Amino acid sequence: MTDVPAETLRLGYSSLTRKRMVTLLAVALCLILSFILDTATGPGGYSLQTIAEVLADPYAHGARLKVIVWDYRIPVALTAVIVGAMLAVSGAQMQTILNNPLAEPFTLGVSAAASFGAALAIVLGVSVIPAIGGLLVTVNSFVFALGTCGIILLATRLKGVGAETMILFGIAIFFTFSALLSLMQYMASEDQLSRIVFWMMGSLSRASWDKIALGAVLLAVTIPFALMRTWAMTALRMGEASAESMGVDVARLRIEMLIYISLLAATAVSFVGAVGFVGLVGPHIARLLVGEDQRFFLPLSALIGALVMSLTSIISKAVTPGVIYPIGIITALIGVPVFVSIILTTRRERLG
Amino acid sequence: MSLEIENLSAGYGAKTVLRDASIEPIRPGSFVGLIGPNAAGKSTLFKTISGALRPKAGAIHLAGADIVKMGRKRRAQAVAYMPQAYGCNALLSVFEAVLLALKQTSGWRVEADQLNRVSQTLTTLRLSHLADRGISDLSGGQAQMVAVAQALVRSPQLVLLDEPTSALDLHHQLSVLGSVRNEMRAQGTIIIAALHDLNLAAQFCDRLILIREGRVLADGLPEDVLALEALGQTYCVTTSLETTQRGSLFVDATL
Repeated sequence: MTDVPAETLRLGYSSLTRKRMVTLLAVALCLILSFILDTATGPGGYSLQTIAEVLADPYAHGARLKVIVWDYRIPVALTAVIVGAMLAVSGAQMQTILNNPLAEPFTLGVSAAASFGAALAIVLGVSVIPAIGGLLVTVNSFVFALGTCGIILLATRLKGVGAETMILFGIAIFFTFSALLSLMQYMASEDQLSRIVFWMMGSLSRASWDKIALGAVLLAVTIPFALMRTWAMTALRMGEASAESMGVDVARLRIEMLIYISLLAATAVSFVGAVGFVGLVGPHIARLLVGEDQRFFLPLSALIGALVMSLTSIISKAVTPGVIYPIGIITALIGVPVFVSIILTTRRERLG
Repeated sequence: MSLEIENLSAGYGAKTVLRDASIEPIRPGSFVGLIGPNAAGKSTLFKTISGALRPKAGAIHLAGADIVKMGRKRRAQAVAYMPQAYGCNALLSVFEAVLLALKQTSGWRVEADQLNRVSQTLTTLRLSHLADRGISDLSGGQAQMVAVAQALVRSPQLVLLDEPTSALDLHHQLSVLGSVRNEMRAQGTIIIAALHDLNLAAQFCDRLILIREGRVLADGLPEDVLALEALGQTYCVTTSLETTQRGSLFVDATL
């Protein structure tokens, strides 16, 4: 047990901060590369150079390529980035306020609720908000996702609902909406059925500039809100009583964050459907890279979530040339091993 | 700079746990032991003083200021409450955990003098070799010391320790209480510690407060309070106070 001079400690922390900034920049760079690759790949097999020219001048190779790149590929690639960031941030914050590393929109049943909302719109044409026409499916799924987040918020206020109970609660919500969803599928016509199944698998093909603008505005407005609370959220990881004694208004922080997370999760899910595990993978990798100081953890979760989603979008096009697989299938295949590894490591921590 | 508690009543919902508790003013730099059986109201008293629980009646003044009416941030600066059963699985280093305690009541940016303050606190408490260690990898005693560092780094006027030695072996019980007492006394900070071990209380405290069923039964010097017949009755045992050959107090208890 040798004592370290105070000066060494201070310098050590400063160099750690610099390393974390470098990590953030490196992941941001990867994201940009992945975004470019995502716009460059897809059916048609155009060269990277052609795509670059169309990016610089939309009509460089005629109207057909302008439509492919600017009206289809860029919206899809941007949606992947925005939705990935939203899912990862909502996952990271759910994990913090519920003190459970497995919490995310998918595992808490939010995605299942959104799927049911979408199916309700597809099959029965039932809308929770009247007169919205073409956005019926999106709005319905948003409202159901938001409602489920509200139920989760209420459940956390109940006495004796601990970290484990919350996941069991999520499973209960998941099964309830799965059953209701099966009912919708049973009642659906052949055409409706295929639309429901497609929705449930999660897809980026519903991307549009309107949704991108909406998502970007939501992120731009809420990011400063979340950043302002990073010290308090990190304190919450020390335990509720500790955070309270440090001057954090825990009850208020919980409600504020849950409302914020609900908005993000519901928007993301209503845009792309039931895409699971991005909210788990992003924060998990971020945590391993920079720890849980939320000033670094939160932006890095967002970047990694966006990167994972963007890479998934590339993979969905690369597996079979000419075929675009639903991304929900791919995120689940990547996410489930991470899910299992988290369960195993948290168990080991508790035993040790 | 003293702490004054007058006619304090507190509880949860309709249930009243603390009843009309008054304590003689506590002077700066004193180490006060809070003793009494389980469910006597020790934690409730701490929660009320730290502001986590609003009192139903009565007043708490620290250095003349009303704690109940104080803003959350100001109160967190003045009063450091170290809750019972410390332990967490966060991926944070000891340095980050201590910095965190300081940052709750200051701005978003980390200033150079704040890093210095964290470094100084860790060095003073002889925790500097643990600075880069993850807080989830610490032993019970080390974790308790980090919690002490989180309290100390804020330079509070009052520190409340709820069972600070519950998870510790004999060596660490003595070393944790010893370091806390020395550091806080040097800063003129008031410490109130809830202790189950009466012999530890006798060894470290300047003053003892005995409570049972939410009432203050006795308040005075350790040798007086521990000698009371009421002490044994409070715990439903028979106690007698002896002095060891070294001159320290020893409470002998039998059922």
